[in-house]
Amino acid sequence: MQKFDTKTFQGLILALQDFWARQGCAIVQPLDMEVGAGTFHPQTFLRSIGPEPMSSAYVQPCRRPTDGRYGENPNRLQHYYQFQVVLKPSPKNIQELYLKSLEEIGVDTSIHDIRFVEDNWESPTLGAWGLGWEIWLNGMEVSQFTYFQQVGGLECSPVTGEITYGLERLAMYVQGVDSIYDLVWTDGPMGRVTYGDIFHQNEVEQSTYNFEHADVDALFGQFDQCEQDSQKLIEAGLALPAYEQVMKASHVFNLLDARHAISVTERQRYILRVRTLSKAVAEAYYAKRESLGFPLCKNLVK
Amino acid sequence: MSQENLLIELGTEELPPKSLRKLAESFASNVEAELNKAELSFDNVRWLASPRRLALIISNLSATQADKVVEKRGPAVNVAFDSEGQATKAAQGWARSNGITVEQAERLVTDKGEWLLFKSEVKGQSVAQLVPAIAAGALAKLPIPKPMRWGSATTQFIRPVHTVTMLFGAQLIQGELLGVESDRVIRGHRFLGEAEMVLNHADQYETLLDDSGKVIADYERRKAIIRDQVEALAAHENGVAAIDEELLEEVTSLVEWPVTLIGSFEDKFLEVPSEALMYTMKDNQKYFPVLDKSGNLLPRFIFVSNIVSRDPAQVISGNEKVIRPRLADAEFFFETDKKKTLASRLESLSSVLFQKQLGTLKEKSERISNVAEDIALQIKADTKHAQRAGLLSKTDLMTEMVMEFPDVQGVMGMYYAKHDGEDHEVAVALNEQYLPRFAGDKLPTSLVACAVSLADKLDTLVGIFGIGQAPKGDKDPFALRRAAIGLLRIITDKNLDLDIVELAEIAKAQYGGKLTNTNVVNDVVDFLFARFRATYQANGFSVELIQSVLDRRPTKPVDFEKRIQAVAKFQELPEAAPIAAANKRISNILAKVKGDINTDVDASLLEEDAEKALAEILGSLESKLSPLFAVGDYEAALFELASLQAPVDVFFDNVMVMAENEAVKQNRLAILNRLRNLFLQVADVSVL
Repeated sequence: MQKFDTKTFQGLILALQDFWARQGCAIVQPLDMEVGAGTFHPQTFLRSIGPEPMSSAYVQPCRRPTDGRYGENPNRLQHYYQFQVVLKPSPKNIQELYLKSLEEIGVDTSIHDIRFVEDNWESPTLGAWGLGWEIWLNGMEVSQFTYFQQVGGLECSPVTGEITYGLERLAMYVQGVDSIYDLVWTDGPMGRVTYGDIFHQNEVEQSTYNFEHADVDALFGQFDQCEQDSQKLIEAGLALPAYEQVMKASHVFNLLDARHAISVTERQRYILRVRTLSKAVAEAYYAKRESLGFPLCKNLVK
Repeated sequence: MSQENLLIELGTEELPPKSLRKLAESFASNVEAELNKAELSFDNVRWLASPRRLALIISNLSATQADKVVEKRGPAVNVAFDSEGQATKAAQGWARSNGITVEQAERLVTDKGEWLLFKSEVKGQSVAQLVPAIAAGALAKLPIPKPMRWGSATTQFIRPVHTVTMLFGAQLIQGELLGVESDRVIRGHRFLGEAEMVLNHADQYETLLDDSGKVIADYERRKAIIRDQVEALAAHENGVAAIDEELLEEVTSLVEWPVTLIGSFEDKFLEVPSEALMYTMKDNQKYFPVLDKSGNLLPRFIFVSNIVSRDPAQVISGNEKVIRPRLADAEFFFETDKKKTLASRLESLSSVLFQKQLGTLKEKSERISNVAEDIALQIKADTKHAQRAGLLSKTDLMTEMVMEFPDVQGVMGMYYAKHDGEDHEVAVALNEQYLPRFAGDKLPTSLVACAVSLADKLDTLVGIFGIGQAPKGDKDPFALRRAAIGLLRIITDKNLDLDIVELAEIAKAQYGGKLTNTNVVNDVVDFLFARFRATYQANGFSVELIQSVLDRRPTKPVDFEKRIQAVAKFQELPEAAPIAAANKRISNILAKVKGDINTDVDASLLEEDAEKALAEILGSLESKLSPLFAVGDYEAALFELASLQAPVDVFFDNVMVMAENEAVKQNRLAILNRLRNLFLQVADVSVL
């Protein structure tokens, strides 16, 4: 008997959390900051640096200002959810675990065409890259799968395996609906609530803000401020606060991008500025963990 | 000697589809090379590949290397023994290292001296001993642009490896490859077959995978099956599948057990230009579009799944759900783009760089426009249309459709231009400016399109050479080679009366002071000549033939082509070889002369009959040939020139060029000089 009703959005999340908890992952909570992907969460970005093992899973709200469509496109949102799983070191059966998780949420692998299609990942702002696949479910990309090779300019050893589920896409599949806004979030004693009920107005208003109202001059100022702060914090040996400034700078950059405030040539320069900060953070974080004697290495499975 | 088939299989996670064939092929050729190096005999090496495996079957491999006698030379006899005939330390040490005594050593006697010799019989090693290292060596040399690590291991490969199976007949070869111990267990299809199977004999590999594993490991067989299935499904719809070879390869590399299905989309999307729809089907989704008998797109798509689904309808409707929003995007872009004219987008090109030193795409468009107009004037095309098409040539890059699907640049420009009410010729030129895209591709159809295409290519060639970024080795980021070949093909095949020096000058003038390379025109012309050489060589013309024309540097491609063809015809004549030899002789004689050589022949100084005859023929030929040269009829000219063979030979047999009388000598040199000049108006036949 299924414990969770995966035909609801929240049931899907609960089932995934439950599954990965059983595999031994720490189920952590979303990062309380604006980020463009679950990869930014310190549990992924920072924890994939250095020798210490760490496996966790979490939901991460993602903001991609340029993807806003004022609530009019059934497939595109400027705010959506990823379910992120990071396993370090990547276990041998990581693909099988992923496939099991799909079965757990109600995807019958004897009916559907599931494929691992090469898709290599690179984040210029995080100075990170990895190799892996996008996972196709009857031709639809529902997850990303990456073996991290480098993060913040540092070689990953051991390698972190990252699985990112596109929750809305997967839910649309499981529920058989054509619009994100028609997804059932919950259907219980207190009534039926859809994704649209919760987020449609948010999409309309935030799209308007992102594209029309975001104050360009103030944002440029913020970017510079974040950059300065991050540099100072690195000098003070505070890798974690310095990293928060990097994430802020990155989001500000995305907003400026949505306002078309950055020209094609300038764009590259801004990406480089964020990357420089990311690398400094990665090095500072590594140095700090090293000075602590990499305490989590005690969890390494012999 | 006993022989068996050897199987080597690597079971992996899903390999990159676009490099699967190359990986497998180089695995095979590397192993083949290593086997040859090890002197193991075999019939052939066959490769198999699927998303989750690379495999080789080496047929009739001999079980061991042949035994060999190895000879090791020791110290020379005169240092091996001291004056008393006792073995020296050196000799004893050498003998000991070979496990013998000095007395047991044999002698090697040559005419240079005498040495101690140790002959040992080396037993040939067995396949089981040799194969692990051979396979490891072959794997290490695979072309993997981005090797990866996984887990905590330091092993690197293109994707994680799970199983290794090396079977020599029924015998398991022990050993480790890429951190995995060789074992009989192989893996089947992820969902259809048995997860793991035990392979008892190398020869059962494909059958076991087929029957129990539900994997067709033979790449070519899988590809053929897919092609058949796709064609059959299309035929069932009274259509024809657009099977692009590259896509077929990719699809073959994405499935282990192909099941081909067909889906549909709404007719309304067919309003969108089919190029855009086909692009998104093929490139984003790996679908095969279906065309009707007259080449129109049908609202169908064929795709290859990797499963015998319990409910194929769900697989089909799933795929239809994916393609619909993508087609809707294309439709949306098309409708949005049509709201703005291409002309109104020109300004926005000033925010896009063509190249840092060479300015924006708007500036490039303006240059193309001017150059196209100039070319149009020369080739008698409509100058206004050429100018207009040049100006609009890059505007479609700013449309949503092309931003999303870069491959449809040009063709979308054509559709939008038609919609904007631009002249038909202008619209077509926007599409055809990119032709030819590859070797053997079609050329622009109209003269206006030729002018724009030439202008675009010239602008890039002159600009990039102008800032000193000529292609080096295989680094050609601006695809200048392709541009140059395309340019020459258009001029030659379309028979356009254009001169490449003039063209380069025109393009250069457009850049004003931006170009730093003062030698740019010459560099571009040399580059074009080099393409001429390569192209004609590829078409089977001899190096000498091409050189004979290249030496004359004819800067009009059409003229170049005529000369090549004329010399090729000339070479078929029996007179060709002796005439070439005579030209060579003349060229050598003239080269040795210091100072200027006359071209005026003084009839009163002619002494011998042979030189009189030659001078007379020359005179009449000169007047006969000048109208032929004027119209570029080199073939007829060379045919006439062939008649010189006999008189020239008689001349050399009877006349002493370097006569003692200086005036007579100069007169004879003048005859030869004029003769040579006649040939040089076509080609330097002395190099033939």
